[in-house]
Amino acid sequence: MTDISLTEKIERAAAEPQNMGEMVAADAMGTVGSTNCGDMLRLWIKFKEEKNGRRVIDRATFQSFGCQTAIAVASVATELIRGKTPEEALSLSGEELSAPLGALPPMKIHCAQLVEEALRSALDPASETISKKSSSCASPASTLSDQLNPQAGKFKINILGSTT
Amino acid sequence: MRDLLAHYPGAKRTLFRRYHLGGCSSCGFDLEETLQQLCTRSGGLDPHQVLTEIETSHQEDEKMWIEPLALHKKLHDISLSEVHLLDLRTREEFEAVHLPTSQLLTQELMQEAMGRWPKNELLVLIDHQGERSLDAAAYFAGHGFANVKALRGGIDAYSEKADHSLPRYTIEKEETHD
Repeated sequence: MTDISLTEKIERAAAEPQNMGEMVAADAMGTVGSTNCGDMLRLWIKFKEEKNGRRVIDRATFQSFGCQTAIAVASVATELIRGKTPEEALSLSGEELSAPLGALPPMKIHCAQLVEEALRSALDPASETISKKSSSCASPASTLSDQLNPQAGKFKINILGSTT
Repeated sequence: MRDLLAHYPGAKRTLFRRYHLGGCSSCGFDLEETLQQLCTRSGGLDPHQVLTEIETSHQEDEKMWIEPLALHKKLHDISLSEVHLLDLRTREEFEAVHLPTSQLLTQELMQEAMGRWPKNELLVLIDHQGERSLDAAAYFAGHGFANVKALRGGIDAYSEKADHSLPRYTIEKEETHD
């Protein structure tokens, strides 16, 4: 029963994700993954200062072509960190960031870690080493989702004209 | 896995369609690990059964292609609301030429497709010359889309064989200078 409930929660969160999309004029941005190692997750953060002078996260958004679970975790995590100071947000583990979805199965724990590392990359520049480490797996096979991303770079298109 | 993928080019697609492995980095695998290791860390799959399915991957791939003329006929025979055409190319290529009613795949559209589109309706993946669409189709199939196809030869073959009004094109990568 737990698995069914978890699956439903992930499907629902991924079908109607919160906070998806690039943020204009963000105060911080973090990226994990690379095109050479499967998918990529990018997080944008905007801060605000409260009346008591505390600097907290006002809003966070994300972009990902990752699997549905990664999107679901990013969706709930970006809601969870609202109103938290950078230190409070950084103290959250992948497990805590994905908690609203329930306990993830072992094969999907990496999805929560991906979000945790993106958050770390955005809030703590020193953590860049962590995300590089995570994206430099020994010899990763290219993944099917790589084929969903158009080729990077600039291209010139030469129209050959109608074949009639 | 390196040797396995070299011997069975469709193995990656079969692994995702059947077992949800290798779709993205979350469920990806390493070229240096063995099939046995992958099976063990993926909930104890039977490597012999997995290998048997991989050996038939070519037939599975063949079923996923749709020929340009067959698609052209379908677009005239069935209600267009029951066909989804997803274009995997760059925005520039799409703007230069695209099939009527096709949609450029964006992250937002991807989410809409995964979350809301009926999974039994015909979904056709289109690229330039059929290099990427089969992998993309397998990705959707692994997410439960039962009637997903890849356009054989891409929009280039469609233009050549099914609809001559669509111009063909070539792409040149522009050099970038730092």
